[in-house]
Amino acid sequence: MGDEQKELTSLLAERSIRLDARASDRDDAIRQAGQALLDVGAIDPGYIDAMLERENSVSTFVGEGVAIPHGTLAGKDLVTEDALSVIRFPDGVDWGGNEVTVAVGIAARGNGHIALLSQLATVLLDPERAAALRNATTADQVYGLLTTDDDDDDDQ
Amino acid sequence: MSERTVKVASSVGLHARPASLFSQAAAATGVPVTLTSAAGKSVNAASILGVLSLGVGGGEEVTLSSDAENADAALDQLVALLSRDLDQE
Repeated sequence: MGDEQKELTSLLAERSIRLDARASDRDDAIRQAGQALLDVGAIDPGYIDAMLERENSVSTFVGEGVAIPHGTLAGKDLVTEDALSVIRFPDGVDWGGNEVTVAVGIAARGNGHIALLSQLATVLLDPERAAALRNATTADQVYGLLTTDDDDDDDQ
Repeated sequence: MSERTVKVASSVGLHARPASLFSQAAAATGVPVTLTSAAGKSVNAASILGVLSLGVGGGEEVTLSSDAENADAALDQLVALLSRDLDQE
C-alpha cells in the first residue's frame, strides 16, 4: 500500500504545485491546472481543450472544495506521461455553483487515472486532510498529505 | 436489508464520469445506499469521493444494499444504471 501512496507524489513535480494562484473563472482555473501539466512535458497542448470539454460534460467537482479536472477519454492520446498538478486558489473559484479552493489536474493514459483518482479520493475522504490541503502553503505540506498512509481509518 | 449484486458495465470502471453519474443518481433516490466493492470495502453510494476511492474496474462486481424501507425500487434503478456503459463520450 505504501508504494501506491509514493506513486501519487512521484507523479507530482514540485513545480506543478502552485499554492497562491488566482483564477478569473472555472475555465481559467482549468487552463492553469493544464498549463502546469504542459510545463512538465506531460501533455500536448490539446489536452487542455480535452479538460475543458470534460468539464462541460460532467463537473469534476468532488466536494471538500476540490475539483479534479482531467481530459476526456478521447484525449488520452494527448498524454505523454501520467502526471498531476495541484493549483490552490486561496480566494476560491466558482465551479458551477460550488466553491473550489484546490484544483488537482490529472493526466493519465489508458486506465492509469483510475488508481490515481482512487488514491486522491481516499485522501479527501478524511475531512482533516481535505482541510489541510485547502490551507496548504508549502509543497512539502502537499506531499505530506498525499503520502500519509491511512490504512487504519476504517474505524470512523 | 435489500441487496443487489451487479457487474459494472462501464468499460473503464467507476472512474470520474461514471462515478459522478452513479453517485448523483444514488443521492437522487433519497434512499441511503451502501456500495460495496468485490474487495469488501463499503462506502456511501451517494458520495462521489467514496465511490472513487473504491477504484472499481470495468467488469467488476459490486453490491448495493440498503436498510431503508422501499429501497427495492431505488436499488433496481441503480443496478440498471451500472449495467449500462456510462463511459459514452
